[in-house]
Amino acid sequence: MNLLLVGGSFKTLPIELREKLAFDGPKLTTALNELSARFGCESAIVSTCNRVEIYIARAGEEIAPNADLIVEFLSQFHQVPFEQIRGSLYSKINDAAIEHLFRVAASLDSLIVGEGQIAGQVKQAYESAQAAGSAGIVLHAIFQQALSVAKRVRTETGISRGHVSVSSVAVDYVRQVHDHFDDKTILVIGAGKMGALTLKHLRELQPERILVTNRSPEKAIAVARECAGIAVGWDKLDDALVDADIVLSTTGSPEPIMTKDRFDGILARRSRGTMVILDIAVPRDFDPAIHDGDQACLFNVDDLKRIQEQTLQERQQHIKPAEAIVAQEVKRFVHDWRRRKNGPIIARLTQEFDKQAKAVFSDLRAKFNGELSEEQWKYIEGAFKLLQNRLLHGPISALAEEMPEPTKHTLLEAMMKMFRLER
Amino acid sequence: MTSALEAYVREASGSVRDIMAGMLTFTERITVLCFAASYAVAFGVELWHLFQPRPILRIIALVLGGAGLFAHISYLIVNSLIGSSLPLGSPTGSLFLLALILAVFYVGEAIHHAKVAWAMFVLPVVLALIGLGVASHDPQDRVASWQSFWGIAHGTLLLLAAVGVSVGFIASVMYLVQLHRLQEKLAPLESLPNQERLLEMNHRAILWAFPLLTAGLLAGLALQANVGIDWFSIRILSVVGLWVVFAVLLYLRYWVHVRSRQVALWTIFAFVILVLALVSPHSFGQGVGP
Repeated sequence: MNLLLVGGSFKTLPIELREKLAFDGPKLTTALNELSARFGCESAIVSTCNRVEIYIARAGEEIAPNADLIVEFLSQFHQVPFEQIRGSLYSKINDAAIEHLFRVAASLDSLIVGEGQIAGQVKQAYESAQAAGSAGIVLHAIFQQALSVAKRVRTETGISRGHVSVSSVAVDYVRQVHDHFDDKTILVIGAGKMGALTLKHLRELQPERILVTNRSPEKAIAVARECAGIAVGWDKLDDALVDADIVLSTTGSPEPIMTKDRFDGILARRSRGTMVILDIAVPRDFDPAIHDGDQACLFNVDDLKRIQEQTLQERQQHIKPAEAIVAQEVKRFVHDWRRRKNGPIIARLTQEFDKQAKAVFSDLRAKFNGELSEEQWKYIEGAFKLLQNRLLHGPISALAEEMPEPTKHTLLEAMMKMFRLER
Repeated sequence: MTSALEAYVREASGSVRDIMAGMLTFTERITVLCFAASYAVAFGVELWHLFQPRPILRIIALVLGGAGLFAHISYLIVNSLIGSSLPLGSPTGSLFLLALILAVFYVGEAIHHAKVAWAMFVLPVVLALIGLGVASHDPQDRVASWQSFWGIAHGTLLLLAAVGVSVGFIASVMYLVQLHRLQEKLAPLESLPNQERLLEMNHRAILWAFPLLTAGLLAGLALQANVGIDWFSIRILSVVGLWVVFAVLLYLRYWVHVRSRQVALWTIFAFVILVLALVSPHSFGQGVGP
C-alpha cells in the first residue's frame, strides 16, 4: 500500500486560504475525477471549514505521486499561486497518513477536541469518494477503519462528553430541569443578537408557546414573527414571567431589569414549577440573588462559559487514552493490511511446497511399489506434510513479524526471489 | 424445609418431577449471599462506570443485577412459597420481598432509561433492605394471621404501599442530588433524570401508596376482629405514623403547595418510618406456627 496525504488545517492555513482551497458542492466531485484521471490512483478529499486534506492511494507496490504534484493540483484547481500554499501544507505518507486520518476522525486534531461533527464530515468525504468511484480497496479499508476508530474513541473515553457551545450548555441546563416542553412557555426578553442561537436551540424543544417582550414594541413584534411567538407589551413583563417556564433574557439594559424583591413578588403569584432563566445579557438583566435552584434556576453568561471551559478541560484528560486507542488501531490496521498483502504469497509458497512434496512422494511410491502397506504410505505422506509445515513455519512467521517500515528490499521480495515465486 | 420441598417434588410426576428435582437442587444452593453479592458487584461496576464511562460497564452492571434478581426470586420461591421457612409476612420476608420489587424496578428502568445511573440510587436501598432483613431474621418467626384472607389483604396492601414509598424515596434522593447540582450550578449530567421527571415520579409514588396504605390499615383493623392486636406495638405505631406522614405530605403537596424540596424531605422521612415498621415484629399471631 502507498498512501499519501497532502493538506492543511486551521493550525497551518489562515482562514482566507482555507476558504480558497475548500471543495464545496460540485467542486468536490470534479476534483476527485480529475485526481483519478491525472494520477491513476484512489482519492478522497476531506474538506471542512477547518481543514482541506487530499488522500491519494495505490494498492500495489507502485508509489503514490509526489506531494508537490498534489500541491500543484490544488494550486491549479483553485487558482492559487503554488508558492502561496506550499509552505502552509503538510504531507504524510503510509502509517503517518493513516494515523493522521484516525486522529482527525476521532476529533483529536479538531479546533475543539472531542467535537462530534468531524466524524460525520469524514464519513461524508468517504461517501463522496465512493459516489465518484475514486475510492478503491485502500481507501475503503482506511476510511471504514477511521470511522470505527472514531466510534471507539467516543464510546471508550469521555472525550465527547458534554457540550462546548454556550447555547448548547444553556439548553442542557433547561433539560436538567424540564422533562417535556409541549406544555411549557418560553419568554424572550429583549432582541439581542447574542440570544438568536440559544433561541434557535430552545425552539427545537418545541414549546407550547413563545412570548416575546421588548422595550420597543416594533422589535418585539419582529422577533416574535421570526420565532413564531407572541409579542407582549413591556408593561406586561411581570405577568409574562408568572406564566413562563423558561426565560431567555438578552436586553442591552445598563441596569438589571429584575431585582430580587420584584422577582419575589412574581414567584408569590406563580403556581408553576421551576423557572429556568438564561440571562445572557451583558450587563446582566437578572439579580443573581434570584437563583435558588428550586423555584428559580438562573444561569448567566459567566456560568455557561464556566461549564464550557470545564467541559473542555475535562476533555483534555481524555486525550491521552484516546491517543493510545488511535496508536493501537493504527498498529492493528497496518499489521492486518500486511497480512492481507502477504496472504497470496504465503498461499503460493505453500502450494509450491505441496507440489514438490507430492512429486517426490509419487517418485518414492513408484520406486518402492508393493514393498510397503497402504497404512505405511499414509504414514510417510503424513511425515512429508509435517516436514513441510515445520520448514515453512519459520519463513511465514518472519513475514508476519516483519517491521512495517518501507525498506528497499523487503523480506517478502527476498522470499519471492529465493523460492522463485513469480508475481 | 427439605421435607416440604421433597413432598412438593413427590407430588409431581415423571419427567416434570426430574426437572423439578434438578431445579430444586440448584435453587436450594442459592443463599442470601448470592443475590446480595450480585447486587453489590453491580453497584461496584456502576461506580467504576462513574469514573471511567464505558457502555460495556453499564451492560455488565445490568447483567449482574439481572443475575441477582434471578437468584433473589429463586431464593424467595424456595424458602418462602415452597419451603415456608421464611414467611413473607415476617419482617425478614417482607424486607426481602420489598428488596426484590425494587430490584425489578432497577432492572426495568435500567433497560428503558439506559443513560440514567439507576444502580447508584436503587441498589444501595436494595442492599440495605437485604441487610436489615438478615439482621432482623428470627428462625422462629411465624405469622399465623398470614394464612387468613384479611391477613393476606393486609400484608399485600402494605407491601404494595411500601413499594410506592420506596420508589418515592429513591426519586426524592435523586431529586435532592439534582437540586444540589442546580443550586451549585454544576455541569449538567445525563446520568441523572431531570427535576420535573423526578417530581412526577415522586408524586405518582405518593398517590399510589396512600390509598394502598389506607386500605392496608383498614384490612389490619378487620384482622383485629380475628386475632388480638397490641395497639402500642412499634409496628402498629409505625404504620399509623406512616399514614399520618403521608396525609401531611399530601396536604403539603396539594393544598399548601410547599416547595418540592420539602416534599422530598417528607418522603424520605416516610421511608424511615416504613423501614422501622418493616423491621418491627408483628403484634398479632407472634410465634404461632401456620
